[in-house]
Amino acid sequence: MSQPTQAPHKPPFWTIARRDAAAGYIFIAPQLIGIITFVLVPLGLVFWYSLHEWNVLAASFNFVGAANYQMLLADPNLPQVLIASAIFSAGLVILNMSLALLLAVLLDQKLKGMVVFRTLFFSPVVVSLVAWTIVWSFLLQNNGGINGMLAMLGIEGPNWLRTPTTAMISVVVVQVFKNVGLNMILFLAALQGVPKELYEAARVDGASGFKQFRRITLPMISPTILLTSIITIVGSLQVFAQIAVLTQGGPGMTTTVLVYYLYQQAFQFHFFGYGSTLSILLFVIVAVLTFVQWQLRKRIVFYEN
Amino acid sequence: MAPVTLKSVTKSYGATSVLHGIDIDITDGEFVVLVGPSGCGKSTLLRMIAGLETITGGAIEIGGRVVNDLEPKDRDIAMVFQNYALYPHMTVATNMGFSLEHRGGSKAEIAERVQWAAGILGLTHLLDRYPRQLSGGQRQRVAMGRAIVRNPQVFLFDEPLSNLDAKLRVVMRGEIKGLHQRLGVTTVYVTHDQVEAMTMADRIVVMNGGKVEQVGAPLDLYDRPANLFVAGFIGSPSMNFIEGELTPAGFKAGNITLPLPANAPTSGKATYGVRPEHLMLADDGVEAVVKLVEPMGSETQVSLSLGEQSISAVFRERIKAQPGTTIRIRPDANAIHLFDATGTRID
Amino acid sequence: MKTDLSPRMKTALYGLMCILLIPFVFPTWWMITSSVKPISDIFAFPPDLWPRRFDFSTYAQVFELQPFARQYWNSAYIAALVTVGTMVISSMAGYAFARIKFPFSNAIFMVVLLGLLIPSEVTIVPLFQIFLGWGMINTHWPLILVPIFGAPSVFATFVMRQFFIALPNELEEAARVDGLGRFKIFWTIALPLAKPALGAVAIFTFLHSWNLYLEPIVFLSSTQMFTLPQALTQFTDAYGGAMWNIQLAAATMTAIPVLLVFIVAQKQFVEGLAHTGLKG
Repeated sequence: MSQPTQAPHKPPFWTIARRDAAAGYIFIAPQLIGIITFVLVPLGLVFWYSLHEWNVLAASFNFVGAANYQMLLADPNLPQVLIASAIFSAGLVILNMSLALLLAVLLDQKLKGMVVFRTLFFSPVVVSLVAWTIVWSFLLQNNGGINGMLAMLGIEGPNWLRTPTTAMISVVVVQVFKNVGLNMILFLAALQGVPKELYEAARVDGASGFKQFRRITLPMISPTILLTSIITIVGSLQVFAQIAVLTQGGPGMTTTVLVYYLYQQAFQFHFFGYGSTLSILLFVIVAVLTFVQWQLRKRIVFYEN
Repeated sequence: MAPVTLKSVTKSYGATSVLHGIDIDITDGEFVVLVGPSGCGKSTLLRMIAGLETITGGAIEIGGRVVNDLEPKDRDIAMVFQNYALYPHMTVATNMGFSLEHRGGSKAEIAERVQWAAGILGLTHLLDRYPRQLSGGQRQRVAMGRAIVRNPQVFLFDEPLSNLDAKLRVVMRGEIKGLHQRLGVTTVYVTHDQVEAMTMADRIVVMNGGKVEQVGAPLDLYDRPANLFVAGFIGSPSMNFIEGELTPAGFKAGNITLPLPANAPTSGKATYGVRPEHLMLADDGVEAVVKLVEPMGSETQVSLSLGEQSISAVFRERIKAQPGTTIRIRPDANAIHLFDATGTRID
Repeated sequence: MKTDLSPRMKTALYGLMCILLIPFVFPTWWMITSSVKPISDIFAFPPDLWPRRFDFSTYAQVFELQPFARQYWNSAYIAALVTVGTMVISSMAGYAFARIKFPFSNAIFMVVLLGLLIPSEVTIVPLFQIFLGWGMINTHWPLILVPIFGAPSVFATFVMRQFFIALPNELEEAARVDGLGRFKIFWTIALPLAKPALGAVAIFTFLHSWNLYLEPIVFLSSTQMFTLPQALTQFTDAYGGAMWNIQLAAATMTAIPVLLVFIVAQKQFVEGLAHTGLKG
């Protein structure tokens, strides 16, 4: 490289690049400080608390090392809670994604009045969550609207929220109808983003409608499917209000998912130490699931721009 | 209006050096075109003049002032971008007046300048439109209007015509040239299209691999390319190169002998360059086998095999030869170019 | 896929969609109609799709049993503050991560993204302790500060970043040549062009705050401070049984305004969401 031959001029300290970098730090500062204060520090604290026996009512705070984790492994309720969480999340994700895809494909058809259908399918998303849950709770009462309708058809409905199997089905279904509109819209946008030429090419090649869907549509929208499934799974692990309003975790512990159990231990029974241990468990589960899905991306996502 | 001087300008990204010491003097009011294949560093150089890229070494002066550490806004330049970079959420008038607004012009003053620029470019009836409502050519004019409205010292154009169709490109080429003649502002114009460079420039800077290959007036570059790269780059279709040996009898390549000008050297290896338009049909010429005939109407392009070599020729005449037939051609000895083993021109 | 459908096919599709609509639309209908039924009719058999008698006193009772107007205001102003605050914070951070070169920007972005992995449920115990230490229990501060600055805004930042990444570089360069500094480029060029993404962020954020349930019941203890979701569950009789018609009246008042805003602006709503960076 040739060196400048004239008197080398001395650049000022605040070069263009440095000024820009300073602007960058100013722009991210509020978010970064917020994340440190309300996410990273609490995460450290939650781990620290999980090493303590801490009962707020008894005002006890003693370092116990891994005792809470041993308690976690020995907790007779834990298998039930994890099973409930797994059933809830799996049921929610499968139902939500398939229904969202079905609705999106239907709305993608060339028919009049699709905007009205789209609006109505989406409307529960904007209905207050607790209001939505309350009205379903009302409908699912033993003498409520749903059993009333079934009785008119000569069917005797179960006591939905008080029977173990139907209670779990109920919380899943109520949540699916509440939020499936979101994924539906994202899928619809993805479907409409698939270039028409691909379908035309496939028709020229003689592919049937179903084959087109499987060989073109699904691969083309697979990034959206992956992203929405991550969001939906992580969201399903945070479900609290629906459980609290519909079943309070019952009957028995059949709908006590991890977040609800955590809430009970920490804020109803005031075991902050053990509650923190459960928080760590929740964090690990979310992290592992996200990581696994991210890895899966390489295999299942065919197309990415 | 101001001269622009580049002194040993270098640019590197980390360990990768992309410009290796560029020296160019652009005089006041000159129209200079930087031309070269993609990746040669011409756009980077233009963006360094604009202040959009930092300068690793050397100095850039505008109007005698070193601008290395100045923000683009303090350099008194205006730039026309390849994709026009019109603000989509502003009308044509706002787009054009935007820079003045940020330099503290009064409303009346801005409106007057915008009207003036719109008048020059024929945009007066489009001032209230949004960029998305304009055609490609109109957007191009707005981008130019935005540049001239401020009356800057230097205009910078970064491949401004590459998004237009061929016909419009020719029209806009003329308009930009006309604008320069009218306003007389120093202009640096980047393109990869050597036809644009030839037709618009006062002087052309041919760049390749982060270096300047040659600087000169368009016809100088055409008539006297300094090296093989410039010879091959300037002119369309590009120059034919034939390797061989200089002898007193002419230029020998295999068993073919080509004529040399009177004062040419008579020994040593060399590359013989002849432009397709300097090959003529001649009964006493060398034999060449026709591979492909492309009639263009005004002229005919013919691909030929000359011994081992593939060459192309452009004839004024209409040729009806079938592929596979043999024709006789002769280079114009006074229009040929010779290059030595390093690729440098032999005079 | 997009071939024109036969009339029979069209009828079948319309029929299928109408059936599918029932669980989406019926609950809202049932909520509204039941809220104006007298308590004795509420579990009537056969179920009344249209009230046989109207009793609007339920709506008055909502305000008598709870400081409902106050609670409504609490939810509304908290959601508004959180929405505006999140839009400011996330658009700035998203812009910087997408467009400004500064040392460690990728590493910092990764740290911020951790927020997506750590839902506020995980950190609710220490958050409670932190706000206890700051004397902010039974105030609205936790419900305002955590969503704006904490984990919930990370998603918004991600959406904004995805949008700003796609903004043509040349626009900003033109703005620099036109004499704008970073902040002005952000304010006059990038932000006005980011309206669709900002709209999506606003919708997500508003709904998230409006629906918040765990945090209010953890942080708030007096009815005056309650937010709507929390208040809705408080309409119980002396035995803890739900006063259904009153509860449904309160739920109707909670749901309907947002629903109306949505129906009026559904195009912006839906398109805002569809055109976020969520396409992968």
